[in-house]
Amino acid sequence: MQDHAIEVEGLRKAYGDLEAVSGLTFSVAAGEVFCLLGPNGAGKTTTTEILEGYRARSAGEVHVLGHDPEHGERALRERVGIVLQEAAAQAELTVAEVLTMYGRYYPRRRPVDELVGLVGLDGRQDVRVKLLSGGQKRRLDLALALVGDPDLLFLDEPTTGFDPSARRQAWTTIKDLCALGKTVFLTTHFMDEAQALADRVAVMANGKLVAIGTPAEIGGRDTAPTEIAFTLPADVAVADLPDLGPEATISEPAPGRVVVVAPHGLRTSHAITGWALERGHELRGFEVTQPSLEDIYLRLTETTLETTR
Amino acid sequence: MTALSQTLDRPTAARRGWRSDLALIGWQVAYEQRAFWRNRTRAFFSFGMPIMLLLIFASLNNGRIEQLHDIKYVVFFLPGIMAYGIIITQFVNMAGGLAIQRDNGLLKRMRGTPLPGWAYVTGRVGSTALTSVGMAVVMLVIGEVFYGVHLRAEALPAIIIAVLLGAATFAALGMAAVSIIPNAEAAPVVANVLILPLSFISGIWYPMTDAPSWLLDVAKVFPIQRLADTLQTAFDPVNHGSTFAGNDLLILAIWLVVGVRLAMKFWSRESAL
Repeated sequence: MQDHAIEVEGLRKAYGDLEAVSGLTFSVAAGEVFCLLGPNGAGKTTTTEILEGYRARSAGEVHVLGHDPEHGERALRERVGIVLQEAAAQAELTVAEVLTMYGRYYPRRRPVDELVGLVGLDGRQDVRVKLLSGGQKRRLDLALALVGDPDLLFLDEPTTGFDPSARRQAWTTIKDLCALGKTVFLTTHFMDEAQALADRVAVMANGKLVAIGTPAEIGGRDTAPTEIAFTLPADVAVADLPDLGPEATISEPAPGRVVVVAPHGLRTSHAITGWALERGHELRGFEVTQPSLEDIYLRLTETTLETTR
Repeated sequence: MTALSQTLDRPTAARRGWRSDLALIGWQVAYEQRAFWRNRTRAFFSFGMPIMLLLIFASLNNGRIEQLHDIKYVVFFLPGIMAYGIIITQFVNMAGGLAIQRDNGLLKRMRGTPLPGWAYVTGRVGSTALTSVGMAVVMLVIGEVFYGVHLRAEALPAIIIAVLLGAATFAALGMAAVSIIPNAEAAPVVANVLILPLSFISGIWYPMTDAPSWLLDVAKVFPIQRLADTLQTAFDPVNHGSTFAGNDLLILAIWLVVGVRLAMKFWSRESAL
């Protein structure tokens, strides 16, 4: 197996005068869960569809499992599973029939019973696809993508429409797949999903990559100032707080609720808790947080929108 | 929660070959057939409707046709409605079905699998051809049993070839027609606009013996008249020559090639997603 499941260099795609993707370069290591984030119209779907072999690129190099997806070779398709955002399956056939039918297309295949259990469609094997609920159809999508035991899985917003427990179950399945050495290319609008699953996250805006890194580090998330929030007792005022140094900024968004933003989170929270313990103050709702992936994502995509305006 | 197994159904086996592809097409035909008959409404309209038309028209008209050597109307009508039934099942089903599958993403899903496009198409055409053959057989039996339309044994090869060539031609043309069908809702309208007017000048519903010759020339350009004529030649009780209508078969074959070329163009386009 090669080191990279996906290699993209200088990828461009233009529709007439409009450039949907303008110069993407990244790679996805074998066995990695790679998550592509970006607002609607950022070029995510175009990029994904080029990798899946649905669209031809205008320029650049693309390799997926060592193949050029544009040629649509069977040898590549046999190793790739795809969950599309919206795609019907054969409505008149049952879940088990559809899974058996698609299984015949692949040289390797997972047993139908296992697939059904894996995506939580137990007991629905003999139900016709057209009678499944929206959420159940999405689970069938995932099962159909897994039927050929793919080495590389494309998941385009795979858990949209899932209830919370079905989502957790899908996440567990995806993690199980990674444990078997499969590569996952994921797009999602849920930041918690990216946080829970992705080894690396890439953020796209206006056809360009604006940041790439682990969910913990992307966009300088790990080095960003820490936010410490707590509620002071009624008889204590903000002015009574100890000196937290010149770099800390203190604000009071609601009476008695204090938010401190400081570059050295550990030192500052120690100073605050030490002071409170010494005076015997109870600090209710004490929270120490780094900016969430969502905060970083919004910041990254907003700044790009502003600069291009 | 089920854990993922490492062991799979067919670990590394089954290298590709024409045998396994042929089996794959066989399975596709089987699944398409199963899906076709499960949708009762659709099955009635494409399979049952032409048979119903045969029963209605044959029952309404007991007379003979003077201009055609005084043969019974039903002897004239049966091959025509058989052609019409083939055209409806093949053309309308193929155009309408593919337009729906293009709109709802099923074609896109199929393109993401290792099943080659031609295998998917062959499976669909094979399935509708099977439906057409079934319809032709039912019509032959009805004609024989209820209306005394006797089929000469030597005409059978000509009928089989006409049914199969007609089925293939109209399936290919239906597939090509998807290109000009903007969305699934428009499919039945477009298909009927293409088929119905031509069927009236193609000698399916009544003989064209009194029609102006220019209209006949127009009709003869199109495959509807040709398929109807091929079958009428084979059924013709006063025809003592060949049961094969060579010219008709040739024109049908040309339309088949045109249809396949156009269909392939549609298939390879990005916009077919």
